[in-house]
Amino acid sequence: MSDTAAVSATGLNIIKRIRRDHSPVVIVMVGLFLVVLISGALITDDFLTWFNVKTIIRDAALVGIMAIGLTFVTLSGNFFLLSMKEIAALSIICFATLMGADWNQWGSAGGEVTTFGLLATFLVAFMITMLVATIAGAAQGALIGLGGNPIVVTLGAAGLFFGIGSWWSDNLVVSYRRPHGAEWLGTGSFFGDIPNITVAFIVIAVVAELVLRYTTFGRQVYLVGANRAAGRATGHENFGMAIKCCIIASVCAAFVAVAFSGQVSSAHVNYFSSEFGSSGDMTIMVIAIVMVGGNSIMGGYGSTLRTSLGAIFISTVDNMMVLNGFNSGARVLAVGLMIVFSIIVFALVRRGSRAVE
Amino acid sequence: MAEQPLLWLTNISRHYGAIQALKGAKFEIGRGEVMGLVGENGAGKSTMVKIIGGFDTGFAGEYHYDDEIRNFSSPTAAEQCGIAIAQQELSLIPTMSVAENIFLAGDGVPRIASKGHLARKAGPFLEEVGLGHINPLRATNRLSVGEQHLVEVARLIAHNPQVLILDEPTAALGETDSIRILEMVKRLKERGKSVIYVSHRMDEIFKICDRITVLRDGESQQPRAAADMDVNSLVELMLGFELGDMYPKRHPIARDEPALEVRELWPDGILEPVSFQIYPGEILGLAGQLGSGTSEILGAMAGATKSRGGKLVYRGEEFLPARAKEAIRRGIAYCSEDRKRDGLFLGRPIMENMSAPALETISTSGILDGAKERRTTSENAIKFTVDPKRLPQEAGVLSGGNQQKVALGKWLSISPSVILVNEPTRGVDVGARAEIYQILRELADQGAAIIVASTDIQEITNLPDRIISFYRGIQIGELHLADMTSANILEQITDPFHEAGIAVSEKVS
Repeated sequence: MSDTAAVSATGLNIIKRIRRDHSPVVIVMVGLFLVVLISGALITDDFLTWFNVKTIIRDAALVGIMAIGLTFVTLSGNFFLLSMKEIAALSIICFATLMGADWNQWGSAGGEVTTFGLLATFLVAFMITMLVATIAGAAQGALIGLGGNPIVVTLGAAGLFFGIGSWWSDNLVVSYRRPHGAEWLGTGSFFGDIPNITVAFIVIAVVAELVLRYTTFGRQVYLVGANRAAGRATGHENFGMAIKCCIIASVCAAFVAVAFSGQVSSAHVNYFSSEFGSSGDMTIMVIAIVMVGGNSIMGGYGSTLRTSLGAIFISTVDNMMVLNGFNSGARVLAVGLMIVFSIIVFALVRRGSRAVE
Repeated sequence: MAEQPLLWLTNISRHYGAIQALKGAKFEIGRGEVMGLVGENGAGKSTMVKIIGGFDTGFAGEYHYDDEIRNFSSPTAAEQCGIAIAQQELSLIPTMSVAENIFLAGDGVPRIASKGHLARKAGPFLEEVGLGHINPLRATNRLSVGEQHLVEVARLIAHNPQVLILDEPTAALGETDSIRILEMVKRLKERGKSVIYVSHRMDEIFKICDRITVLRDGESQQPRAAADMDVNSLVELMLGFELGDMYPKRHPIARDEPALEVRELWPDGILEPVSFQIYPGEILGLAGQLGSGTSEILGAMAGATKSRGGKLVYRGEEFLPARAKEAIRRGIAYCSEDRKRDGLFLGRPIMENMSAPALETISTSGILDGAKERRTTSENAIKFTVDPKRLPQEAGVLSGGNQQKVALGKWLSISPSVILVNEPTRGVDVGARAEIYQILRELADQGAAIIVASTDIQEITNLPDRIISFYRGIQIGELHLADMTSANILEQITDPFHEAGIAVSEKVS
């Protein structure tokens, strides 16, 4: 008897606390969202299956990894890199060219291809691609850190990277032979039926969150993002911060490029402009994920965990719409609505949680 | 009072969530009266002001104005009835001319008006606030901050208000501009207007107010005639207990070996290089009005402001920090005058604010040591009388006084041996002010060398052990304890060359 009373009291407390801490608008909107999601899940056939759950997370992985990288830039108060898809485009051309380059075919002298040889080829191509991405990121970060407007700098950089990639590849598809050393990342799975790219997404998400929470660097990201002037006054300069964060975002973009190239065994500069997500444009999708996760555009507030959940959330809704036969236009519309929706909800939640003395 | 007051509010209650800002408070003001509204931060002053001005409509209680019960739905509604409010933050458009700003609302002037026409119409209002000498066609951002505040008031006066609320009009102003504001209030009163004057500055309250209403913890005290009170009794009413002497005792200082020597430092905004020394255990005051260059000197010493040249001699080393980092590494802490700009990370927890300058000391090879951070920040918070239980809260929710304590307290994390503070108590209530003075004195007694720059004449007279005065970018003189009177300081910082400005004697209360 007393037990049930205690339980109902705590239940009441939770409802009371939600009603106290959040405005009615937020409660209604979140409630509405849950109703849509749950009813959608129930009426959609094949939605709640292990296979579909894996599909959702795998679909979220590539855009998710890129969005996690971009989150560092956003959290540090340096807005967005509008060159995300162009960095990926340059990286994928670089990677595919190197994978197919004659000088980079290791251990195949006798005509027999060894696993070791494939991996050596992959590693050379991978390392050089990462180096290119690091330089691309550092250059943008340095310009932003010196006071360049992130929008202008990264739009300019986008043109530059795309131009180089297009010129380098003659705007053609660069393909390389299977078997090759990137298949394990593109399509392989070491852990049962869970694709390696999904594992990579989860590992990167966990590591990024740990870095933000428990390292000095992570703390600096938040501080500089929350107030750049106060950051400078306490010895944390945005110059180094912008460079580091842009490198992280670029390297994540390059990693996604490598993984995608591993899937299709080829590269083209337009892969990330047309093949991704419902809107097709990788940069837009990645920014959408950061926003839907509820990270502050102004920096200093948010986390990569939010970004990861944002990626899965968008992927879930997208998946549900695909299963129900919506066309791509409707799905773009849904992504747009989700962004607006989440911005409103998170803004209200944040305002509601602030009681000023 | 025999006749009915012009405006009176009774039994006013207002709560925001769990916080009760006002508990059955009363307020009244008669015609042609200047009513002071004082209280500590968080006592409910701004809530009361917002309610009177029609900004806050969610209160319980009765609002009487001009013998009628009112329920203003918006600030505009209140303004139409003659209640105008000048907020702390300016709401002028800086690139527009003074005249255009005065008629920004667009009423009282023809729909299409030439600039000359506006300027002619603006003239009398400028005259009224004591800005008759200013060309109404000048761009507003070319005026001093004090003049801009006066323009703001001129704009309100253009609507011919009966009640004018001034919310800390002098908080960001130097002495000369403050005097202009006070003179304007007196002129308004002579013309039969009622003025509600909100301020932390006790001397101003006593100079111009007829009566004073004290708010404490959301409750109001019966208004009292200013003539029947003095600073001590007023502070006692505000705090609810006796404060004693706000300024801590000074001890004699052995000035043997300087902690830091400034040699030929020449920051932008200073006319000639300055040199001085600061000794361990000493609080050195840099006295000067706004624009005198004291902020630039502190900034240059900390690597926050550019300097054309000069050196700091410190622990046998000659250097000039180009970045804050270089000063912090050597144990030189600098707290600027604007905590919201570069003193606090408002959206981050208090704990992160308190440990921000010393992330290296609380981490090993790049990994934060959470336990160590909690321990050191709690210790420092306690020293600054910030409740350690509040450490996880966002700094932005704190009151001005507590924010200032966090902005200052974060520097304890680097165990500084030199502390530079610009305006240590701007926008800080009386209780927190006394605490900050006490802490600064304790730090000095423990051997730190502290330099305080301030435009607050009370503070600069009573806190430091020694003063160097500045006037328009020139180092004027040095005053030792025996000569540190308000009159001496005021003379040096307002009119050192006797160029005939405002008579100094008039400014000393």
